[in-house]
Amino acid sequence: MNTLRILGAYLRRSVLQWLAGRSFIVTLVANQVAPPLIGLAVWTTALPRAGSIASYYVVLLFVRLLTVSYENHTFSNRIYSGELADDLLRPHPVVLQPLGENLALRFWHLLIGLPLMMAAVLLVRVHLQATDIALALPALLLAAVLQFLFTYLLALSAFWTEQAHGVVGFGSTLIFLLGGVAAPITLFPPGLRPWGEALPFRAMMGFPVEIAVSGVTQAEIVGGYLWQVVWVATFAAGCRVLWRRGIRRYTAVGG
Amino acid sequence: MTAISVADLTMTYRTPVRPAGLRASIGALFHRRYREVTAVRGISFGVSPGEVVGFIGPNGAGKTTTLKLLSGLLYPTSGLVQVLGHAPWRRDYRFLRQIALLRGSRPLSAPPELTVLDALRFQQVLYDVHDVAFRGNLADLSAMLGLEPLLQRQVRALSLGERMRCGLACALLYRPRVLFLDEPSVGLDVSAVAEVRRFIRDYSAETKATVVLTSHYMADVEALCRRVILIDRGAVAYDGALAQLAERLAPYRLMTVRLSGPAQADWSRFGEVVSMDAGCVRLRLPREEVAAITAYVLSEAPVADLAIEEPPLETVIDRAYRQGMEA
Repeated sequence: MNTLRILGAYLRRSVLQWLAGRSFIVTLVANQVAPPLIGLAVWTTALPRAGSIASYYVVLLFVRLLTVSYENHTFSNRIYSGELADDLLRPHPVVLQPLGENLALRFWHLLIGLPLMMAAVLLVRVHLQATDIALALPALLLAAVLQFLFTYLLALSAFWTEQAHGVVGFGSTLIFLLGGVAAPITLFPPGLRPWGEALPFRAMMGFPVEIAVSGVTQAEIVGGYLWQVVWVATFAAGCRVLWRRGIRRYTAVGG
Repeated sequence: MTAISVADLTMTYRTPVRPAGLRASIGALFHRRYREVTAVRGISFGVSPGEVVGFIGPNGAGKTTTLKLLSGLLYPTSGLVQVLGHAPWRRDYRFLRQIALLRGSRPLSAPPELTVLDALRFQQVLYDVHDVAFRGNLADLSAMLGLEPLLQRQVRALSLGERMRCGLACALLYRPRVLFLDEPSVGLDVSAVAEVRRFIRDYSAETKATVVLTSHYMADVEALCRRVILIDRGAVAYDGALAQLAERLAPYRLMTVRLSGPAQADWSRFGEVVSMDAGCVRLRLPREEVAAITAYVLSEAPVADLAIEEPPLETVIDRAYRQGMEA
């Protein structure tokens, strides 16, 4: 209960903080929406008969804004600047700070991106079933958790290297290429598709979209959820191990 | 019962080194070299509850490293450290709720967009301060630190002195039992320094909190601490009463002689001449010879006034830093 109150305090604080940086958020939102819009333009031209491709990219827009993670900026930079020392002296798990900021940034992305999404829905014929949306919501939640864990894991590299921005940037490229942004996983060549489905990147981005646009069978939905749970557990364990090692190193070399 | 107990504490860390130049930079990518730095070497001391202790020493002596070890920011290489019965490096939440570390270089860690009251409210949630206690503590701190006009202001608009006052308020809102202050007066103007010193003295007297502070300004230490721990090259060079520090470090006293008439005396016979103006001579004398030289000067020179003083602490420390503690 107390943890939730503290997380809420960080969330409120970050929402207030980013209110002052709203023009920068507009830039961030523009960066996030550009790839799905390009994908929409390219794939609707390339596959004019594939009815669900437009819906796919409009939903992807929504998923992307709700799963954004910038822990290389919000967390790695605190390691580099020494501000992490302030966090270490607070009587709660340190992860609450980046998590609160993550949620605040997602809130602002959604708020600023909402008009754009509504415009996209009006301009493009989006066909969604209520049952598919209901089935996709838990996948969206898991994707949001997974992308935070993945980015946080990569951001922890700041304990060892000054290249954390590059490391996270590489991770973002993998999500773009293999997560269903550059191309839906369903359009991958048959030899690559099983890999695309098993790797964590689809679980972070494309999977909830595929469910929402009825792009997968019931068996594939179950399989996708299993992969999501496996990857959440794997990344959570990875974060725990890396945090322990990183903080040990941080507190051994002078902070 | 001690609030802080330190035994044979050592902190060593590795720092990367390489020669200058492009070739060395490229070589360092493949073969890194490190140098071991011992920031703190085998220090031991104890601090009683309610005591105010000053950590002094030259730059790089290990003061801040020791404070970081005491507050749990650093993991010691060896030795034992206990603060309020806790090993600080474990950063147990019960421990963290009872301590505060305030750094003069960055006294307030709130985002610049927030107001001071936002920052205090945030502290209230983090440290689970009940509403009634929050209002009471805020009223006390506002009165002591003059916070009222600052509460609605954004952190970004505060001067360094105001930041320090607000930082103190945030750090003390939850009434920590141990307060670590790292250079609390750095960058502050004269009146802000006086305010901060007065506040720390009053707070410590009122709450019986244990205070450990580092400062390069001896005036801070003289105003607040009866006891000082002098650290030099990572080791404790002196631990004791501030009053005896000058005696220990400076085996001399200062004699000021005002003359009533012309004197032809060779003053360097009596001691080291510090200054000599018209009608006034200032000498540095060995402690054990002060009485004899005083009698001699009185008998030899036309003395209008004569004063014997302890050398200023600032000067003593400066001399000790430059010449080494053993000098």
